[in-house]
Amino acid sequence: MMVTVKLFGLLRLDSGVKQLELEAATVRELYPKLLEALHNAQPNSSLTLKDLKACAVAVNECPAKPGARLQDGDIVYLIPPIAGG
Amino acid sequence: MTNYAGYMGRVLEIDLSLRREREYPWTDRDRELYIGGKAMASKIMYDNFTGREDPFGPENIIVIATGPVTGTFAPSSNRFDISTLSPLTGITTSSNCGGDFGFYLKKAGIDALVIRGQSSKPVWVEIDNGQVFYHEAATLWGLKTGDTQAGLKKELTDLHGPKGRYGMVTIGPAGENRVLYAAVTSGERAAGRGGTGAVFGSKNLKAIVASGSHEIRLYDREKAMEHHKQWTAALKAHPLTGSQLPRLGTAGLVSTMQLRGQLATRNFSAGRFDGFEKVSGEALAEEENITNSGCLSCPIRCSRTVEVEGQKVKGPELETLGLFGPNLLNDNLKLVCRWNRELDELGMDSISCAGTIAWAMEASEKGLWNNGLEFGQVEGISQLLDDIAHRRGVGDELAQGSKRLSEKYGGKDFAIQSKGMELSAYEPRRAVGQGLGYAVANRGGCHLNGGYLVVLEGLGLSIDQQTPKAKADFCMLMQDLMESISACGHCLFTSYAVFPRFLISKPNSPVTRFVNFIIPHIGWVIRLLNKCPGIAHLNLPLIPYTYELRYAVGLSMNIGKFLKIGERSYNVERAVNARFGVSAEKDKLPRRLTNVLQDPNDPSSRVPLEQMKRIYYKARGWGENGLPDAKKLRKLGIE
Repeated sequence: MMVTVKLFGLLRLDSGVKQLELEAATVRELYPKLLEALHNAQPNSSLTLKDLKACAVAVNECPAKPGARLQDGDIVYLIPPIAGG
Repeated sequence: MTNYAGYMGRVLEIDLSLRREREYPWTDRDRELYIGGKAMASKIMYDNFTGREDPFGPENIIVIATGPVTGTFAPSSNRFDISTLSPLTGITTSSNCGGDFGFYLKKAGIDALVIRGQSSKPVWVEIDNGQVFYHEAATLWGLKTGDTQAGLKKELTDLHGPKGRYGMVTIGPAGENRVLYAAVTSGERAAGRGGTGAVFGSKNLKAIVASGSHEIRLYDREKAMEHHKQWTAALKAHPLTGSQLPRLGTAGLVSTMQLRGQLATRNFSAGRFDGFEKVSGEALAEEENITNSGCLSCPIRCSRTVEVEGQKVKGPELETLGLFGPNLLNDNLKLVCRWNRELDELGMDSISCAGTIAWAMEASEKGLWNNGLEFGQVEGISQLLDDIAHRRGVGDELAQGSKRLSEKYGGKDFAIQSKGMELSAYEPRRAVGQGLGYAVANRGGCHLNGGYLVVLEGLGLSIDQQTPKAKADFCMLMQDLMESISACGHCLFTSYAVFPRFLISKPNSPVTRFVNFIIPHIGWVIRLLNKCPGIAHLNLPLIPYTYELRYAVGLSMNIGKFLKIGERSYNVERAVNARFGVSAEKDKLPRRLTNVLQDPNDPSSRVPLEQMKRIYYKARGWGENGLPDAKKLRKLGIE
């Protein structure tokens, strides 16, 4: 399934990537592909799979778990842990 | 005089009617019980207010209080508090500010000011090394806050030469014109909430300037400096205080709040906004943010610097972004930055101002009040802000806040306020503990005074947002902790580093999941701790405040005592407010938040307020009327 992945927080500021298109059937399947894409964008990035898995995930703005199945055209939001206001 | 370090040993009372000063009695015993800042101010108001005072009368007092660590260069310690009887709520308000006035007040040799009376004409007060001078403010009256501060610098240079260094608090046109939510400004920071600026205005007090050369003594300089070093390193290493807040500021919360359904949208009728990305912290960082900056001695540096009309100025915080953005259905970030600047210059609280405008937009939509305002219609807001500050036309009405307007025109159900104070940008139907906090907060609908439980409910930890379980207990704990931190003079943001790093950076780890699971089941532990503070007769490296008080001030301190100071502060503030009519009946939220579901398909998407309130009062040891009795006050050493 071709989905749009939108990045937020320091994940976005560090990688310089706001969003990208990737193919994956589940959120879990998305992680390694996203990591590879982000490393291609920032070869010196120290980002790991664990960092991505620590992010809150939403699919079409509804909170989702790693096993959530994706549909063509879905928008996946990845937001790193954050607090304070 | 005092035997403790950190303090200057002087509380000065200024009578503006008589232009006379005297020492306000404040003993070391008081310092041990209340530390300083907001807690101290609450006790002074308790000793002075009968419940019959008029916020705009000469009998109202303004207490400006520092903490013992203010100016010691402990990390994030440069805070001061302004407390008074609020014209917006009719009860006490306290507003904490990071400007440099507190530091200079202590350099002037003074811990706190108690200001009473009413000057017959506009005045600014100069405090130089403990001596007070009254200057006519006719030439400053009418100026915005930036021009006022520039004008004061010029006058001070004329008086004392160019080398002086000063801290200032000033008001703008909104304060002079008694806008009920007018703020007091120090540099670019504001004591925003509750209309402190309007009380300054009612006293014809345009500004206070402090300067001096007093030394702020540390009890054990070597240990204190070493502790500061370690604490600074810990703050810099923490994912929240070392990375997120410096790089994204509080604005960084917008995206997470959107995801959690906590982003107040369209006057709190929803928790998500389609255009949230355009007004997010990320957009602010990428498109508007020039750099970050911070208060004196703060390693966190959460403040944004943006460019507005060619000038580098302070950028908007989360509350301003959220309430002037999604809550008005506005996705124009540049406009929010501009309005933020204008609000600072006019001297107005952005939270109450935006909350009142949102109410007016909905009232107009519902045909209750034909005011020309419309959700998503952003042209003319700048002019509207100016009209509010100068009390012209519709602006004159909006200057009264949403509670009074809803009493006049109808629409109380969607006047998003508690005790007259407008709520900040967190939609509580998706953070029910935060909803409880808004309702029971002493100063009214405030996220911080309410305990800021949203930090456990999705912004930080991830406990169940909808369960009422243990929320009352944690609300009490967080309120007490934040009271104590504030009383010292520290910034509340230092408390985020109290959360162990892995709980933030590894939210899916088994330990973090267990913590998130167990918190709703341990309300009884909090109650036990509250009843028997002796069991917390210890200090923990994660809670650095007790060490700071020992090394910098010389106060014997542990976690149990520290929390008890917060509890005492909260109770004394509640007891003052009881004289002005506060009771359980006033601890409420608008019907929209308690009776209308945010998601019609989710019966839990409302605030189950009454259920949590009962437990909260019980945990606090208050009666069903929501008030501490004489026995409770005696037990806390207040009476």
